[in-house]
Amino acid sequence: MPANDYARHEHHAFLDASTQALSDAPLQAALTRLTGTLMAANRRGYAALGDSDQLRDHAKCIKEHTLAHLDHYLEQLEASVHKLGGHVHWASTAAEARQIVVDIARQANCTRAVKSKSMTTEEIHLNPALQAAGVEVTETDFGEFIIQVAGERPSHLVAPAVHHTRESVARVLSGYLGEPLPDDARSLALTGRRVLRAKFRAADLGISGANFAVAETGTVVLVTNEGNGRLTTTCPRVHVALVGIEKVIPRLADLPVFLKLLARAATGQTLSVYTTLITGPRRPGELDGPEEFHLVLLDNGRSRILATPFRESLQCIRCGACLNACPVYRRIGGHAYGGVYSGPIGSILTPLYDSVSENPHLPHASSLCGACQAACPVRINIPHMLIGLRELQHHDRPNRWEGLAYRLWAALLRRPWLYRSALRMAGLLLRPLTDNGWLRWLPGPGGGWTETRDFPAPAARPFRERWKRL
Amino acid sequence: MTTSREAFLQRVRQAAAEGNRAGATPSLEPRGTVGYQGAGPDPVARFAEQLAAAGGFPYVVPDGATAIRTVMDLVQRRPAAQILLGEGAALDALDLRRHLLEAGLQVTLVSSLNVSSSRDPFFAADIGISGVAYLVAETGSIVVVSRPDEPRSLSLLPPVHIAIAERRQLLPDLFDLFETLGAGEPLPSCLSLITGPSKTGDIELRLVTGVHGPGELHVILVTS
Repeated sequence: MPANDYARHEHHAFLDASTQALSDAPLQAALTRLTGTLMAANRRGYAALGDSDQLRDHAKCIKEHTLAHLDHYLEQLEASVHKLGGHVHWASTAAEARQIVVDIARQANCTRAVKSKSMTTEEIHLNPALQAAGVEVTETDFGEFIIQVAGERPSHLVAPAVHHTRESVARVLSGYLGEPLPDDARSLALTGRRVLRAKFRAADLGISGANFAVAETGTVVLVTNEGNGRLTTTCPRVHVALVGIEKVIPRLADLPVFLKLLARAATGQTLSVYTTLITGPRRPGELDGPEEFHLVLLDNGRSRILATPFRESLQCIRCGACLNACPVYRRIGGHAYGGVYSGPIGSILTPLYDSVSENPHLPHASSLCGACQAACPVRINIPHMLIGLRELQHHDRPNRWEGLAYRLWAALLRRPWLYRSALRMAGLLLRPLTDNGWLRWLPGPGGGWTETRDFPAPAARPFRERWKRL
Repeated sequence: MTTSREAFLQRVRQAAAEGNRAGATPSLEPRGTVGYQGAGPDPVARFAEQLAAAGGFPYVVPDGATAIRTVMDLVQRRPAAQILLGEGAALDALDLRRHLLEAGLQVTLVSSLNVSSSRDPFFAADIGISGVAYLVAETGSIVVVSRPDEPRSLSLLPPVHIAIAERRQLLPDLFDLFETLGAGEPLPSCLSLITGPSKTGDIELRLVTGVHGPGELHVILVTS
């Protein structure tokens, strides 16, 4: 596979892709800068809150409650949106969701769509479907725009173009515009503003996701720093919000709990620059805003997860904090994970949404250090779920050798004399391989360990013998 | 459509019930005071400090006359600017329209536009002047709501946004805002909390302002 393909296509080649990422020097520099900065900001953000632990517990409780009564809150959300004159669509699968959005565009005669950043639309691969139906689609988050022009996938939940440098952005945008652009961030961003303003002005369809959907009021909430979410819901005459069913929250009063956590967890900001509450279409007498509002509720595997012990993964508010905290993500970046979602939460979501058997490495792409859970604004127990996925893999495809090894180990532990002599034997056998107290190379399956790290050699005098004289 | 809706909800209902058997079905507990930050002893100072930290420009002024002078100073730095002017209690009290016109500036009143004639002036404007619905001291945010005389574009399309606010609109904490909103009339079609100028860090984390929304946010807070 050519070097760039991992950035362009989803895949299941985790080991190859992560090996490649490790030797990509610009990527390593970008990841260090991004994750280091955001992780420090995350800690500062929580510290500034004083009682962030209690607030995170409260947020988690709201999510747990909502998921336990999800059917009720979805019906309430639907009724609230209907009352405002909006339309609600139910999409069980990605294919249904694509068809619904394409049909909305057709019926309203829309040919030019602008999108604000939405991982959910990435998940259903909406853009190719719209383009095939003759609708021009423009991503308007600046980072998303860069990678759309480059033909790539986002590599971070909140910083989709983190794998680019200013030089590579200048190359990508120069090629797109057919004019050479200077490679400083400010003029590139302002070029982006100019190009995207024209797109907003011409657009007849605005497509967004939602950070939250409030059941009580029928409100969808968009959080952005650039303002493209506001433009997407201001300029075009039709607005479609594609929302995963887990994004619903019961009441308006629950929203500030999450708003106080989301930006702090993601970037350390007290609040993102723009928090926009969209409640139905434009009202009589208003000069702008969409005439039609469509809410598309997406299942696409979520209800399946709701019934399992992996339900907790549906509490995710997509802040990206676990990516920044993860020692694995910080080395390999987002593209290596292969799916739409990356990092620790992606290692859970991709196997669950896609397939556990086709993503065998993702549940193991973690040292289980718990930094993800510590950073998470809703305290999702990611390590616990990764272990759960490993257990599923084991039931799917039991490893006979592993089973035999554990039975042998158990038999040894039950017989102290046998255990002691086996250890003594192992010490003798390994002595020729011992170098300064470490084993640098092991034969057979042990080679998997020593390929990337050393193993401590058995002590010359076992602790049990020393203990007798202590 | 109905059948797919029914099947969808039935699936969710069953999955929720099945998962609920493992426990974890807490009720919605009252929040109490958890997460309440408040604004400290001086909410005005807190607001100004937070807005400045987010990259906005706060002007705390004692009275209407000073507010008018502050606005005029800001707009006269750009004498050729197209100004888009909203309406509402705070703006009308200052009679900004008369002051701007007397200074020979190019002013478009939002109230003079209709749906079909508004698009060009919205996109052409250099400065948008609006009121606010609320201010939040904790976060340094202004809250704008869509109304016939204050459209969404007013605080969004022009590269410079000047907002006029009054002391009575200042709330201490984000929780206070949502309590106030929940207690009142139905939500407007669009409500935005704005906390500083439009920002992006998409290229090497370098902060650039004004990438989509206004690059400058000036908030004039009249304390009288």
